[in-house]
Amino acid sequence: MSAHSHPGVLPPHPESATLEGRNKLMGFWLFLGGESVLFGCLFATFLGLRGHSDDLLAKNPAEFFDLTTVAWSTVILLVSSLTSVLAILGMHKRNTKQIYLWFTVTVLLGLSFLGLEIMEFSNYTNHDSFHFTQTAYASSFYTLVGFHGAHVLFGTLWISLLLLQLTRKGLTVVTAPKLYVAALYWHFVDLVWVFIFTVVYLMGKVA
Amino acid sequence: MASHSNESHAVDYKKAKSKHSAKLHYLTFSLSMILTVISFYIVGNIIDPAREYAITSWTFGLPFITLLAIVQALFQLIFWMHMNEKGHLFPAMGIALGGFIAFTAVIATVYWLGW
Repeated sequence: MSAHSHPGVLPPHPESATLEGRNKLMGFWLFLGGESVLFGCLFATFLGLRGHSDDLLAKNPAEFFDLTTVAWSTVILLVSSLTSVLAILGMHKRNTKQIYLWFTVTVLLGLSFLGLEIMEFSNYTNHDSFHFTQTAYASSFYTLVGFHGAHVLFGTLWISLLLLQLTRKGLTVVTAPKLYVAALYWHFVDLVWVFIFTVVYLMGKVA
Repeated sequence: MASHSNESHAVDYKKAKSKHSAKLHYLTFSLSMILTVISFYIVGNIIDPAREYAITSWTFGLPFITLLAIVQALFQLIFWMHMNEKGHLFPAMGIALGGFIAFTAVIATVYWLGW
């Protein structure tokens, strides 16, 4: 807090140096709690419906889930989570170049994850004729995994816009909390994916 | 950075701290990778049609990969999402409450609909 007396010099933890920044952080954690509830309910729906579709069209996902693609998606998202924390380390060192570099890598990895997911979904619908409206199970699969994909898309857009803002306003006690919570969001998206690859793909492959 | 004169002690403090936490972030990454590889390996082994060298059964595999996912999630929460740093009581309460409700929803559905 003492750094406030030196205008132009960022305090050691610029994200929590102001009351607004601290409130933003706490509010964002509460939002992540709400996001957990959202994804928890989607997981619950998915698990409840799995193996309970009487429909003759019900497909056994073990036949077409491609674990190689899922493994690549997992590695991509995991590395992107690391790069976003490296960006925050750069922010703590007041190294704007590092923020640009690592967040840009994060966004690019997020986009490649989305590319893989789009390829995967189009394979399922075109090649395996596993459609959103086919069975309740299919709906719950696409809703859960697709909702996660939508979060990745939103994250890439959000981080890109923040980088744009950083070029205009520089690293200040106003922009730092935004970058910090965007990184938190990105970690959370990666954390949800850990459960998706375990519960949806790995467990789906065996059941 | 060195051009500013009045930030030297803050920079030293930051350097020491970020060096320390960078290590923990790389550790979290390596651990996440290892746990992920183990999960994929176990499932790959179970579904292997040859199965002559199957090391595990699904009765063990299912709870085990669930546990690995939870451990990985906790490491990422604590280190990547900075829960180990000071002033995280309310965030911890928020996310724990969310996690608890999510967990209850999953358990309830799985229990009632049978699995």
